Amino acid sequence: MTLEPAHDSDLGPVGLVAVAGLLLVWELLGRLDVSIFLPPASRVAVAWWGLITDGTLFRAASSSLASLVKGFLSAAVLGVLVGLAMGRFKTVRYLLDGWVNALMSAPLSALVPVLIALFGVRDTVVVATVFMFSFFVIVVNTLTGVRGTDRSLVEMARAFGAGEVALFGRVYLPAALPAVMLGLRLGAVQAVKGMVVGEMLISLVGLGERLIYYGNTFLITELYAVIVSVLLIAIIASQLVQACERALVRWK
Amino acid sequence: MVLALRGASVVLFLILWEWAARVPVSFNFPTPWATLVALFALLGSGALIQATLTSLQSLLLGFGAAVAIGVPLGLVMGVVRPIGRVARIYLDLLIALPTAALIPLVILSFGINIVSSAVIVFVFSAPFITMNAYGGVRDVRPRLVEMARSFDVSWPLLFTRVIFPGALPMILAGMRLGLSRAFLGLIVAELLLSPFGLGKLIMASRSMFEHDRMFATVAWTLLLAGLALAALARLETRMLRWRP
Amino acid sequence: MAAVMSAQMRDAEAPSAEPVGIAIEGVSKAFGPVQALVDIDVNVRAGEFLSLIGPSGCGKTTLLKAIAGLMPVDAGRVVVGDRVVSGPGRECSVVFQDFALLPWATVQSNVEFGLLLRGVPAPERAATARRAIAKVGLAGSFEQAYPAQLSGGMQQRVGLARALAVNPQVLLMDEPFASIDEQTRRVFQDDLLSLWSKERKTVVLVTHSMEEAIYMSDRVVVLSPRPGRVHQVLEVPLPRPRELRDVRATADFARLVDGLWQILRKLQ
Repeated sequence: MTLEPAHDSDLGPVGLVAVAGLLLVWELLGRLDVSIFLPPASRVAVAWWGLITDGTLFRAASSSLASLVKGFLSAAVLGVLVGLAMGRFKTVRYLLDGWVNALMSAPLSALVPVLIALFGVRDTVVVATVFMFSFFVIVVNTLTGVRGTDRSLVEMARAFGAGEVALFGRVYLPAALPAVMLGLRLGAVQAVKGMVVGEMLISLVGLGERLIYYGNTFLITELYAVIVSVLLIAIIASQLVQACERALVRWK
Repeated sequence: MVLALRGASVVLFLILWEWAARVPVSFNFPTPWATLVALFALLGSGALIQATLTSLQSLLLGFGAAVAIGVPLGLVMGVVRPIGRVARIYLDLLIALPTAALIPLVILSFGINIVSSAVIVFVFSAPFITMNAYGGVRDVRPRLVEMARSFDVSWPLLFTRVIFPGALPMILAGMRLGLSRAFLGLIVAELLLSPFGLGKLIMASRSMFEHDRMFATVAWTLLLAGLALAALARLETRMLRWRP
Repeated sequence: MAAVMSAQMRDAEAPSAEPVGIAIEGVSKAFGPVQALVDIDVNVRAGEFLSLIGPSGCGKTTLLKAIAGLMPVDAGRVVVGDRVVSGPGRECSVVFQDFALLPWATVQSNVEFGLLLRGVPAPERAATARRAIAKVGLAGSFEQAYPAQLSGGMQQRVGLARALAVNPQVLLMDEPFASIDEQTRRVFQDDLLSLWSKERKTVVLVTHSMEEAIYMSDRVVVLSPRPGRVHQVLEVPLPRPRELRDVRATADFARLVDGLWQILRKLQ
């Protein structure tokens, strides 16, 4: 099941005002000392800058991003292929769709300990978690895209003499493209979530490890700084995929 | 034919599992049979039931709150357009955010107890529930609203007879999504928090190298989540009998 | 000199294909327990304009698809020219009710589609497509537009251009004007007739409009409600070219349409 209406999550002027407003409220509440667990935005910004300048953030982020890219790209390639196969061939679909549907709504976090048992406490677990989190979303969306191909276009192509290969390349594939891109966009967001979950559970490297560390050592402002960083990564990843989508799907 | 294929994929999975356990891929891998045995042992000893009940407490608290707050909020967002347009930006951020990142913060703020788990479950599921309720209201066919208005319908009636039923499919889908997210958040929280529930059982088994128990608990958890979601899906179908 | 000449030859249009007749012999088709067509015998003369009409569910679209080779028949056979139909063939081109344009392709690409599938090289494809686009009156500013930017009537013209680009001998049209408003439809009908008079093809038109059937055709085949059989075949002896005379205003036209209506009425 897809996560949300397929609108472009662009910020726009309303968005920027809303975010600015949020930062303002955050700053105010922080100053009012509502809770030691809610520092003002300005102090978080300072801590963030500190983490950038002493290199902590870059070290953690590069480890995280490496896992993210590896996991997401493999999920994207495999996910689209599996989705295409399932969309096109009934046999494949019936063989796999039980698993895909079950695992898509399953709490995949429960499988991370299994991955740790399999790979040990290493960053491979993170790559695998990223893969897991994004793979199923991509498969389901690709599959939906292929199956949603307008039947009359298929008939038209056959009427003009298209063979199986031409049908697939010239009708099914382009018709599925918007759905595939949506799947990749949702998959990117899921991938970042997987990255954080995986890293937090093995608590070894990356931004997830930093989250656990700062939590354990009560370094609240640094904790917030990492949370914001992780959010930014998710947004940037989603926007990147959207940019690709805009470049590829100009006809809508 | 369909049944045969699905059955075949299950058999294939079991064979792969058995193979993975025998091949020294990692000395931590229990066989399907060992897992099954451990499962019954855990059930018999009551440990699994106890853990399940603890987990379910947090789940119901958090998910219940998410539905109780999220659905009305989403409805308001959909009906009062300006609120919707602004609030959805925050929701978009919450949905994009890897919610797990908030867990250390929640634990710090609320301590290591059931409140923390419930809050975490809430934060994991509420944004999706709200967003779907919002989307449901927005996607109600304008033609239907126009039709009702042509009969000079009062606002409360318009809401209860046209808008809410029209939004219901998406609301229910959002609840199903929210429940799946709730389980996800619950497990991550418990794996990290440890003193509680199924997550604790998984971690405890792992630290004692009782991998068959760990696998059994993981399988049980997945089964539990699957059943809960299936039940919700069944409810959804019953409530939406009119759908073609 | 030789280079210029061969370029000219390449760009010169291939002569319009000679139309062929269609023989539908004893065709029957069922979908599971539902019998759509029973024992259909129709002989379409080469270059003739024939309409298929009948109440909903009479199987006229099914019959058209059978001729197009898109649907196998249970009994009997369809012969287009001298080929027994067993799949889509090069003699026939189809125009669809919902236009069936590839939404992600420009008008130019869409018209080239049939040529692309037949392995025609790119430069020739482009030139042939451009000519077809001109024939349907869309030349000039629409080649790079996407279907979503065009009106229904324009989209169907693209569909027609695509069908004509592959130089068919038979044109099969499945309620092509059903999704188009009446004013655009009339203009389109006249344009089609004028095109047809210049490049004779065998045309089989499925329609639910009696006016359209009489206005366009040489003969009208009326199918009975399910299971579809040939109920009656009407001759339409109105003089051609009809698009240049105000045929719809004549008494003969009204009489023929009413005659058709009386037949269809009894079938409802």
